[in-house]
Amino acid sequence: MVLELRNAKKTFGEGNTLVEAMKETNFLVERGELVAVIGPSGSGKSTFLTVAGGLQSPSEGQVIINGKELSQLNEKQRSKVRLQEIGFILQASNLVPFLTVDEQLELLNKVKKDNMSKDEQRKLYEDLGITKLHKNYPSDLSGGERQRVAIAKALFSKPSILLADEPTASLDSDRAFEVMELLRNETKSNQTATIVVTHDVRLIKYVDKVYKMTDGVLKLESTAEKDLGLTE
Amino acid sequence: MFLAWSEIKKNKLRFLLITSILLLVSFLVFFLSGLANGLASMNREAIDTWNVDAVLLTEESDKSLYESALNKEVADELDAKETAVVSQMGAIANNGDTKQNVMLFGIDREEFIKPEVSEGDPTFYVQNGVVASDVLKDEGFKIGDTLELSSSDTELTIVGFTEKARFNASPILYMKLNDMQKIKFGDAYTMNKDVVNAVVVKDKDWDTLSLPDNTEIIETETFIENLPGYTEQNLTLTYMIYFLFVISAAIVAIFLYVLTVQKISMFGLMKAQGISSAYLARSVVAQTFILALIGVVLAFGLTLLAGSFLPNAVPIMFDIPTMILYGLILIVVAILGAVISVWTIIRIDPLEAIGG
Ligand SMILES: Nc1ncnc2c1ncn2[C@@H]1O[C@H](COP(=O)(O)OP(=O)(O)OP(=O)(O)O)[C@@H](O)[C@H]1O
Ligand SMILES: [Mg+2]
Repeated sequence: MVLELRNAKKTFGEGNTLVEAMKETNFLVERGELVAVIGPSGSGKSTFLTVAGGLQSPSEGQVIINGKELSQLNEKQRSKVRLQEIGFILQASNLVPFLTVDEQLELLNKVKKDNMSKDEQRKLYEDLGITKLHKNYPSDLSGGERQRVAIAKALFSKPSILLADEPTASLDSDRAFEVMELLRNETKSNQTATIVVTHDVRLIKYVDKVYKMTDGVLKLESTAEKDLGLTE
Repeated sequence: MFLAWSEIKKNKLRFLLITSILLLVSFLVFFLSGLANGLASMNREAIDTWNVDAVLLTEESDKSLYESALNKEVADELDAKETAVVSQMGAIANNGDTKQNVMLFGIDREEFIKPEVSEGDPTFYVQNGVVASDVLKDEGFKIGDTLELSSSDTELTIVGFTEKARFNASPILYMKLNDMQKIKFGDAYTMNKDVVNAVVVKDKDWDTLSLPDNTEIIETETFIENLPGYTEQNLTLTYMIYFLFVISAAIVAIFLYVLTVQKISMFGLMKAQGISSAYLARSVVAQTFILALIGVVLAFGLTLLAGSFLPNAVPIMFDIPTMILYGLILIVVAILGAVISVWTIIRIDPLEAIGG
């Protein structure tokens, strides 16, 4: 296993203002597995994803990434785990405004070893359809192109875990399907554990498992699309 | 540094602004240091040329050459390695065209403080002949000029010029001690012909000498610091320079802080990805260093260039080691200005940048 949450719970505030953003959760994702987390706005999806990604600590319980229990680590060590193990594709564009597409990836080469080779990078650009954009700055890209570059950036570091929050939100349907296809291929070929938070139920056909988040409760919904019958 | 340099390349205008402000401040620092140096040298260059260790004055003169009067015999009483007597008198010299505030220095022929003549008669020791500070050439004074003095009927003749001969901001006219005493004391000459202002001493062990009655011996540096206006002038300029250091730290701090605050969410996203605070902080420091270095180096060149266009009347003299020291201080101070930004970066919570 790669990523596990054991009795993990996240609350904000206390007393009258206490919010249980994520109730006690047990969750496991294996290498080569692509899972979706769906649920209404405010149900706790991002909370779940950021706790799982070590960006915030659970109020109770444990998060274990590749055998490392995150609460045993200090912020510096957690930051290192994020750098080495996790690729984030976030709701907000996570591109650096003053770096070109190439430089966005180059930056990772400066802070981390074992990223994609030049050939792998070229292949990735082709898969994502951003080959011609490699010298552009983020301000010269469309929303969808920016999202695809963000994906390239997340995959470039060859993470063992991919965490994506609404990765297809600013893409048209065709592109959205292509991106999901790509995430699926990456998951299978690199044996990453991939969690995708999404509103778009049409994308569920690409994933292995679907979890539904309702009022902070995460529940395994189905392992196949045909059983879902979901409407958002 | 990759990140630092990429950002400078992309946002040239922004960084040009901060660099040019740093450049202007550095320019001002260099210029003021040149001015301080030039003004100091106007006061002390003659004494520096003499290369003496100490000065003997009367006790009640309170370290002032002008107020001191002692018999030149004390030079022999003093058991120092080398001594020279100096008789001084201020005057207005007029060559017919120009009037100029000067200082007459009467000295003995065989004294070691005898000026090196850069132009004219090297054995200047002739009746009422003077060797003048070469700055007077800029005022139109020439060899052979006859000088009328404000306070005497005696006329002097310029027989030569010498370099680095200003004292307390006035050009010196060196002359024969006896001629000078006649001018200085007039009718009372016979009685006062041996009264001089000071004895200058070349002897490393000057502070162990036994002193004649009512005299005081002071280190050359102390003597210079007590020249009227010298310390005040120096301190004023030095404080201005120190203040400019503070200003440049503040400018850099404010500017970088504004830039950093604009980039908080970007830094947060990078931190979420696992890029360490240390890397980001180093990048900001590297950026500051690059900008400060460019600003200071350009200012350095510009100062020297501007200096070469200034008329000689502007008392500017650049001391390269001092300028290099001040340049380094400016860079260090700029980096100190980046500390607030570094602190801000360290405290950014990656989670906030990500939002829901
Ligand atoms: N830092 C916080 N302090 C207090 N409450 C918070 C905080 N972060 C999240 N919450 C609350 O926790 C709940 C879950 O928020 P979360 O962002 O996880 O929802 P979400 O499912 O991602 O919503 P969306 O689909 O709109 O992104 C919400 O009620 C939210 O107000
Ligand atoms: Mg969310």
